[in-house]
Amino acid sequence: MRKKLLSLVLATTMMFSLVACGTEKEPQNNGTTNDSEKENTNNSKDSDTITIWAWDESFNIPAANAAAEVYKKEHADVTVNVVTMAQDDIVAKLNTALSSGTYNGLPDIVLIEDYRIQGYLTAYPDEFADLSSIVSASDFAAYKTGVNQVDGKIYGVPFDSGVAALFYRKDIIEEAGYQEKDMQDLTWEKYIEIGKAVKEKCNVDWLTLDPSDLGQIRMMMQSAGAWYTDADGNVNIKDNEALAAAIKVYKDLMDAGFVKQVSDWNQFVGSFNNGDVASVFTGCWIAPSVKNAEDQSGKWAVASFPRMSNVSNSVNASSIGGAGWYVLKNVGHEKTAVDFLGKTFGSNADLMHQLGDEISLIPTLNAASDYSKKDDYFGGQDVAADLIGWTAKVPTVNYGQNTYAIEDIMTEALQEILNGADIKKTLASYHETIKAAIAQ
Amino acid sequence: MRSKIARFFMYVFLTIVSFVSVFPLLWMIIASTNKSVDVTKGTLLPGTYFMENLRAVLNSNLGYVNSFKNSFIIAVVTTILAMLVSSAAGYAFGVYKSKFKNITFTIILLSMMVPFAALMVPLFRLFSKFNSIPVLNLVALNTSGSVVIIAIATAFLIFFFRQNTATFPKDLIEASRLDGLSEYGIFFRIYMPSMKSTYAAAIVVTFMSSWNNYLWPLIALQSEEKRTLPLIISAMGSSYTPDYGMMMTAIVISTIPTALIFFLMQKQFVAGMTGSVKG
Repeated sequence: MRKKLLSLVLATTMMFSLVACGTEKEPQNNGTTNDSEKENTNNSKDSDTITIWAWDESFNIPAANAAAEVYKKEHADVTVNVVTMAQDDIVAKLNTALSSGTYNGLPDIVLIEDYRIQGYLTAYPDEFADLSSIVSASDFAAYKTGVNQVDGKIYGVPFDSGVAALFYRKDIIEEAGYQEKDMQDLTWEKYIEIGKAVKEKCNVDWLTLDPSDLGQIRMMMQSAGAWYTDADGNVNIKDNEALAAAIKVYKDLMDAGFVKQVSDWNQFVGSFNNGDVASVFTGCWIAPSVKNAEDQSGKWAVASFPRMSNVSNSVNASSIGGAGWYVLKNVGHEKTAVDFLGKTFGSNADLMHQLGDEISLIPTLNAASDYSKKDDYFGGQDVAADLIGWTAKVPTVNYGQNTYAIEDIMTEALQEILNGADIKKTLASYHETIKAAIAQ
Repeated sequence: MRSKIARFFMYVFLTIVSFVSVFPLLWMIIASTNKSVDVTKGTLLPGTYFMENLRAVLNSNLGYVNSFKNSFIIAVVTTILAMLVSSAAGYAFGVYKSKFKNITFTIILLSMMVPFAALMVPLFRLFSKFNSIPVLNLVALNTSGSVVIIAIATAFLIFFFRQNTATFPKDLIEASRLDGLSEYGIFFRIYMPSMKSTYAAAIVVTFMSSWNNYLWPLIALQSEEKRTLPLIISAMGSSYTPDYGMMMTAIVISTIPTALIFFLMQKQFVAGMTGSVKG
C-alpha cells in the first residue's frame, strides 16, 4: 500500500515537472526574441507589436482598445496588445524593472497618473521618450501639460480630465428650499449653509468624508493654484495659505454635523448609491458610479467645484486624478509607440468624441473641447460641456515628486488638527518632518 | 446548575466569535450573487445575479480561466517540490549529526527575519540575468518556474519538518538500517509514509501560500498570459467604477481549490499541526 502511494507521488511529481518544463519553454523563446528585438529595433517584424498597460476595465482599457482600432485602420501590420493591471501593480513593476534596468516584458506605452509622473521623470530621466514632436502644450488643457514636462520637453500625451465637480441631489436641495441656480459657483460657506439646511429639513447627510484620504484638501488647494510643493518642487507646507484655508474648510465641514464618515471606496460609493448623502464633490470620473443607482435617475445635477472665498486666487475649478500616456523608449518599439500616440490620443478629436459617447471621457485635447452630451440621468444637463468648460479653468500646479509620500504624513497632521490642534502651528511643525522625510 | 449557565455563556460567546469570523466569507458569497450597485449598497440577501457575474468573469478580457490554470499548475508543482526538498532538509537536520548542523540551521532560521520586500530588487536583477543562461532560463523572469523555484525551500517548512522529525522514532531508522535499507530508502519508504499528517499540514500551508502569493509573481511575471489569479483579481479592483459583483464571483471561485484542499486534509492537518504522529 505504502509502496503504491510512494510510486503514485513520484509519478505525479515527474508528470508535473514535465508539464512545468513544457510550459516554461515558451518564455525561453520569448526571452530570445526580446533580446534580438532590442538589437535591431527598426527592421524586425516584431517591432510592429506594441504593448499598452492601463488599469481600468471600464475606462482607460476600452479607450486604449478604441485607439488601437483607429490606428489599425491605417497600419494593418501593427498589433496592439492592451493589458489591464492594477495601478499600484503598474507602479511596483515599473519601479523594480526600471531600477534594475530590465526591459523584458515591460510595455511600450504606459498610463501614469499625473501625481506620480514627475517622480518617474526625475528618477528615470533616460527611460521615457521625448514626445515634443507629437504633442504641443497649447493643444491640451493647460494644467495637464504643466505636469508632464521637464526642461521644456513634453514626455506624455495627456489623457483624461480629472476635473473636480460638485454632484448633488436636486430633489433634496429643493426640499430644503434651494434652487439649482443657488448651486452655481458656490463658496464653501454657502455650501456649508445649504448642507445645514438639508440636514435640518430633510434629515439627510450632506457629504461623505474619509479622514485618511486627503483628496478633498488636495482639490481645494489646487483650486487656488497651490500644492504641497511650490512651483520649483520644494516642500511648501508652513506658510501655505491655501493649504491652511483648505484644512480649515475641511474642519468646518467635519464639525458641521452633516458628514457621514466612511473608511473606504466601497462605503463611499455605497453612501450616495443608497441615498445616504445628498452631495459628492470629487473628480468627474465618479459620474459612472453615481449613475449606477438607476433608481435615482433624474434626481442628480452637477455644479462647479466650490471656491475658497478667503483665498484670493481660488477659482471654481480644480482637479483630482487624471492621467497621461507615456512611452518607455528602451523597450524596443519607440517609433511605433510614438506614432501610435501621435495619431490617436495626441490629435484625434473624433476618437475623443467617440470615447465621450462610449466611456464618458472628458477630453483634455483642445480640438475635442466642442464635445457635448446631454445626460438624462442629470435631468438633461449638458454635463460633458460643463465639465470641459471647467477643465479649461483648472489652475496649473507642479505636483512635484512626492505627493503621496507627503500625504501619508499629512494624514497625521490632519488628525491632530481635527482633534483641536492649531492649524498654523501644526503645519509649521510638520513642514520640517516632511522635509526630512522626503530628503534624498 | 452553575456549570450549565457557564456553558450557556460559552456557547453564546463562541457563536458570536464564529459568526464574526465566518461573516466576511458569507458576505463574499452573497455579494457574488448581487449586482455591483447592490453590493456597494450593502445588501445582505442573496440575489439572482450570479450567472451574469459568472459570465462577466469568464468573458472579461483579463483571462481569468488562463490565470486560474497558471495558479493551479504553479501551486501544485510548488507543493510537490517543496515537500520533497524541504522535508528532506528537515529530516536531515533532525536525524543526521554534523559539526555545522546547528549553525547552518540558525542561518536558515535567520533568513526568516529578512522581509521579502528587501530581497525583491536583488532577486529581480538576479533572475533577469537567467534569461540567457541554459537550464537557468527555465526559472528566469517571466516564467512560471521563477515563481516555483523561490517557494520550494522555505525556512518555515524546513523548521516545521525538523520539529516534527523529533517525534519520529529513531529506533525505526536503526531497525531499517540493520535490515539493509539504504538511507534514501529509509527516507522515502519509512519516514514519508509514517509522517503523513505532517506532510498533510505542510501541503495545506504550502498550497495556500503559493495560491495567495502576490508580490513576487507581480514583479516576476511580465506577460499577460503568465499572470496568476491574485494579479488578475487585483487588476479587477483598480477601476474608477469597480464591478464588485463580478469581483466577488471571481474571488469565490478562486477560493474553491484552497477550501477543497483544506477540507480534504482537515483531519491530518490538525493532527500535523499539533504534532502527533500516527505510524
